[in-house]
Amino acid sequence: MPEKQIVSMNCGKIDPDNIDTHIDQGGFKALQKSLEKMTPEDIINEIKTSELKGRGGAGFLCGTKWELARKAGENQKYLICNADESEVGTFKDRHLLAKDPFTLIEGIAITAYAIGAQTAFIYLRAEYHFLLDLLTNAIEQAKEKGFLKHLAVQIREGAGAYICGEESALMNSIEGRRGESRYKPPFPTEKGLFDKPTIINNVETLMNVPQIILNGGEWFKTIGTGNSRGTKVFSISGDVEKPGVYELEMGSPVKELVVTLAGAKNIKAVQVGGASGSIIPFDQLDTPLSFETLLGSGGVIVFNNERDITDMVHQSMIFLSEESCGKCTPCREGTEVMIEIFRRLEIGEGVPEDMENLEALSEAMMLSSLCGLGQAAPIPVLDSLKYFRSEYEDRIEKSQILRRLPRSIA
Amino acid sequence: MGNITVTINGTEISVPDPMTILEAATQNNIDIPTLCHQPDLTPNGVCRICVVEVEGARTLVAACHTPLTDGMVIHTRSPKVLSVRKTIVELLLTAHTGTCVNDVNAANCALHKLASDLEVGEPRFHVQKPRFYAPEESNPYVTRDLSKCILCFKCVKACDEIAGKGVLSVGYRGFESKIITGCDDALTHDICKDCIVCADACPTGALSRPDLLDKKQKGAV
Repeated sequence: MPEKQIVSMNCGKIDPDNIDTHIDQGGFKALQKSLEKMTPEDIINEIKTSELKGRGGAGFLCGTKWELARKAGENQKYLICNADESEVGTFKDRHLLAKDPFTLIEGIAITAYAIGAQTAFIYLRAEYHFLLDLLTNAIEQAKEKGFLKHLAVQIREGAGAYICGEESALMNSIEGRRGESRYKPPFPTEKGLFDKPTIINNVETLMNVPQIILNGGEWFKTIGTGNSRGTKVFSISGDVEKPGVYELEMGSPVKELVVTLAGAKNIKAVQVGGASGSIIPFDQLDTPLSFETLLGSGGVIVFNNERDITDMVHQSMIFLSEESCGKCTPCREGTEVMIEIFRRLEIGEGVPEDMENLEALSEAMMLSSLCGLGQAAPIPVLDSLKYFRSEYEDRIEKSQILRRLPRSIA
Repeated sequence: MGNITVTINGTEISVPDPMTILEAATQNNIDIPTLCHQPDLTPNGVCRICVVEVEGARTLVAACHTPLTDGMVIHTRSPKVLSVRKTIVELLLTAHTGTCVNDVNAANCALHKLASDLEVGEPRFHVQKPRFYAPEESNPYVTRDLSKCILCFKCVKACDEIAGKGVLSVGYRGFESKIITGCDDALTHDICKDCIVCADACPTGALSRPDLLDKKQKGAV
């Protein structure tokens, strides 16, 4: 399946500083159609028909989520656009925001109308501060053209925490609290930002909305696979010749993205979905990229034959430990213990029980952590133990040889 | 609202709605251990000791904050639950450098009691740098020994919700998280006065009443 552009169709074609270039490409027609010809229920039904799923990683059905918020009996509701793209190796939202902020604003306007929110927040990652002026300008221009009469769009900047991309921590951050996850239920659709019903969607998800409204949910359903409709924007980096952002139809094999488009050679492993994403070995590159198989947030990192897998997982774990909010025990302590195991493996002090301990710890973290960070953190550990077990065994064996040597030689 | 029927450990029970799993279990004399929960505080959901298995759920859920829904089937002592619970206790003990063994207060430590209840021995895990903080005795009302702290956040909640003072908060992040006062200042007389709800809430004796400690050391209590 070749590249297919739905979300990024205007990227590069329009001037992100000038709304007129966007309108010339047919921009804001979907918003006009929604406001003039459709009721909020119509829009939600259209999105439900399209089976659009959230692109942030969890893959929850948007229509269902919106309906819950729509039906929540509160006057004040909020829409949050999650632009806190802090997953390792993920930069697709940055590309979309920088090249085409208007489609996002259109998506936000339609969504807010559908769920009945009067205020929308764009939660922008601290590191994307350079996009602030561009986005503010885009919102101002849309306001001047009269597209945002029903809605106030505000930008909130993060302070540099990975965890604040998790929806409940993000809401805490907007409220001015410590960026830590909340327990669920209550879900955000019921009690979210300032205890009001809230919808949180990723940049890419919201940018899908205008095209679905224009072309219909049935059209959207024809693209992609049975459980994953539409396209997905990927950002690819690592040992490739052409790193960058590519949009592909759901269900495209990993090979297509990694080899054909990005030009990777001598692949050893591919990590899909950032620091806590799944790792697949070179012989499984035919795996399709979809919600059923593997997807995550869209960050794809390629490792070639010269890379050491345990080292790479170690680095991922250092990142996750540093970014854990420290609220729940399994994540806060578990990531630190894992780092210690990897550190000992690296300096040749591994013991045979290490692999067993990693597995036990992974299970406990996945089953009992409060939020997605702790639940997903062990994924690369388990995947690497599954596909690259020999590398762990080698390290442990070397450690044992080292231990037998007289201290003066070791 | 009306009653709902749930099954806990194979026994069908009827409870009023809304209610959390923990409340229902306590009411029916089913023991679910907790560390960060106190009935008069809003749930914390931090320590994850109270995790239970709910049929159909992707992960284990914490009993202290998960509301019951009609027809829920809950297992509080399945092998999966027990193994995860033990691992969490081990994790808490791993980074813990409190002087528990020769401390007169060790008998009051909820973590120690839990570890012996669950038959957790020497932890399997290690960390490079266990938490160590010097004990502070500068405040006449409360003694602070953060090495014993297991970050259950109960003191923060008690200070906010019972005392209404908001003196304590959580600082830093990840493994470095720490219960702090102000901008990680010393716990002096100026910051905190004499309500001591935090010491009463503390499960491990990281915060304690100095007088109690004195009397115990002297063998009076």
